[in-house]
Amino acid sequence: MPANVYGHTCVPKHFGAQAQGPTLQVFSKDYRAGIKPAPTMDFMKILVIIPVFNEEETLRGVISGIRASLPQADILVVNDGSTDSTSNIAREAGVLILEHPYNMGIGATMQTGFLYALRNDYDIAVQVDGDGQHHPEFLPSLVKPLWEGHSNLVIGSRYLVDGGFKSTFLRKLGIKFFSSLVWIFTGKRGTDPTSGFRAMDRKGLELFSEDYPSDYPEVEALISASRKGLHFQEIPTLMRDRQGGTSSIGMLSALYYMVKVTLSISIGFFRRVK
Amino acid sequence: MMSARLNLFAMIGSILLLLVILELVRRKYLRERYSLIWIVTGTLFLLLSIRLDFLYGISHFLGFSIPSNALFFFGILFLILIVLGLSVISSRLAEKNKILTQEVVLLKKRVNDLEKFHDHANEAPRPQSGSSPG
Repeated sequence: MPANVYGHTCVPKHFGAQAQGPTLQVFSKDYRAGIKPAPTMDFMKILVIIPVFNEEETLRGVISGIRASLPQADILVVNDGSTDSTSNIAREAGVLILEHPYNMGIGATMQTGFLYALRNDYDIAVQVDGDGQHHPEFLPSLVKPLWEGHSNLVIGSRYLVDGGFKSTFLRKLGIKFFSSLVWIFTGKRGTDPTSGFRAMDRKGLELFSEDYPSDYPEVEALISASRKGLHFQEIPTLMRDRQGGTSSIGMLSALYYMVKVTLSISIGFFRRVK
Repeated sequence: MMSARLNLFAMIGSILLLLVILELVRRKYLRERYSLIWIVTGTLFLLLSIRLDFLYGISHFLGFSIPSNALFFFGILFLILIVLGLSVISSRLAEKNKILTQEVVLLKKRVNDLEKFHDHANEAPRPQSGSSPG
């Protein structure tokens, strides 16, 4: 158990004795003690949504990684109009697949996945990027706070632990900027609000399937969730550099990203919460 | 201030504009809903070209030194409003288009699933006429 300078353990006490590994059996002890009802993963329908646009190089690995670390979950690939063999790879892998007839952007792609999850009675939806930058080994710890009922939205942050890929200097600067935006508008300190490695419960699904920004949705989604009274938290994860393909964010669009999100959040602040 | 010939051209132009608008509506290239603003505009042009003194009166009242400045000013203002309106319309259409596409995507998936289920049910072993009764 890692201990900090104060001699206390760094992890919350409910992590129990098995905090080292991402295991889902941690709660059985609490359950026997009668502290809380049995949160059994078997009763939870989990959908892992992979939004893809031309990810033929990496998709196979991502799918097998998810199957290895979260075998009880269904996997849904939402193909946002790929022009390469992404669609065939998903079919060969035998996962659920939704095909956009044309490229609609990451926001609409995720929203299609959320709608599917909601209408097919999933309790938890997880977003994992198709480019292989998210480590599927962290999936169990990503969904854990959801079925424990601690949070409605869990974000995998790459800045809470050492190691892994940390992004370039300019991007880090951008992420700092967005973190302070989130802090200003929600009062909560986040470290990685642009992370696309996230999981949500039904409340999150209901909100986002109704209203989800069409481009660069991650930061805005946090704030709209918070305004709706949803609770979000970050967990430490490692990320890799993208395994293939190109980032969706170039130099000019990085500028657009910042301006758009800032504008949208600021104006959204004056919108009535439905 | 304006020559009679120019006045005539203005009138002809306005009438042509009105005719084009009406023809577009007749061919259903332009919805009645959006044609109204253009019919009003065309009529206004026609009115101003017939009664130039209206334009002079307005520009004098608002303090423009030259009546044509008033015309340009209002013309540009009007165009800005129209374009803004079109941006609103296209945003609304984009949102509706997105919802529609998502619905189609989900429906397609559902139809595929149902078809698969149906085919599977049909392929299930059926009692065959020749075989011995089970």
